[in-house]
Amino acid sequence: MNIESRKKALKFLYQRVVDPLGYKFSPDEDLVDFLLEQEVKLEQKHGIPFCPCQGLSKDREENMRIVCPCIPFHREHFDAMKRCWCGLFVHKDVTNPDELKQISVHEIKK
Amino acid sequence: MLIEVGKKNELLPGGMKVVEASGKEIVLCNYEGKIFAIDRRCGHMNAPLEKGTLEGYIVTCPMHNAQFDLTTGEVLSDPILRPRPSDFMRWFGMLMANIKTHNIKTYPVKIDGETIKVEI
Repeated sequence: MNIESRKKALKFLYQRVVDPLGYKFSPDEDLVDFLLEQEVKLEQKHGIPFCPCQGLSKDREENMRIVCPCIPFHREHFDAMKRCWCGLFVHKDVTNPDELKQISVHEIKK
Repeated sequence: MLIEVGKKNELLPGGMKVVEASGKEIVLCNYEGKIFAIDRRCGHMNAPLEKGTLEGYIVTCPMHNAQFDLTTGEVLSDPILRPRPSDFMRWFGMLMANIKTHNIKTYPVKIDGETIKVEI
C-alpha cells in the first residue's frame, strides 16, 4: 500500500465527515501532511486511524472515541478551541491556525 | 475488443453494478457521473466488491474493508481484521492479515450515446 495514496484517501474521506460539522482541514498544509502520515502509520499498526496526538488506553471504548475525525466525541472541547486537539481540523472561519492554542478540557469545563 | 455491457441510465451516481463480458466479472461504478469498470473480485480474498460501498472514488470491500481506487485499481487500504474474542479467531485473523492484497484490474470504458462499452 502506497502511503501517499492512503493519505489522499483519508483526506478525501475525512473531508466528507468534517464539512457538515463546520470544520475544515487546517490551512497549514505541512502540518496536515505530517499528521495524516502519522495516522496512516497508526492504521497500519492497529487497523484504525487513531488520533496521533492522544494516547491509546487498554479500554477499547475509550480508544474508539479518538478515531479520527474524533470531533463528534469532543464537540464542546473542540468548539471552544476552534480546532481539534491535533490541529488537523479547524473551524471553517479560521484563517490563521497558529493563533489557536490547545486548552485542557478541565479548564474549559471550569 | 469493445463489448457492450449496459446502459448509462442503469447506473446512478455512487452506484455499482455487476456485468459479465467475455467471461470476466466486472463491476461498473458511477463516480460523479463518470463510469469506471473494475474487477469484481477483491485483491485480498476475492470477495465481490459490488456488495461493498462506493464513497467517491474509493471502493470498500464488504469482507475485510480493503479499499481500492476505482480509477486506477490501486490498493488504498489493507484489510482491517478486527480483534476476535477467541484465540482461534485471533489466529485466523492474523492468518488472513498475511494474505497480500493486490491491486485490482481496471478496464477502459467508452460511452457510446447511452450505451456503456468496456474494452476487454
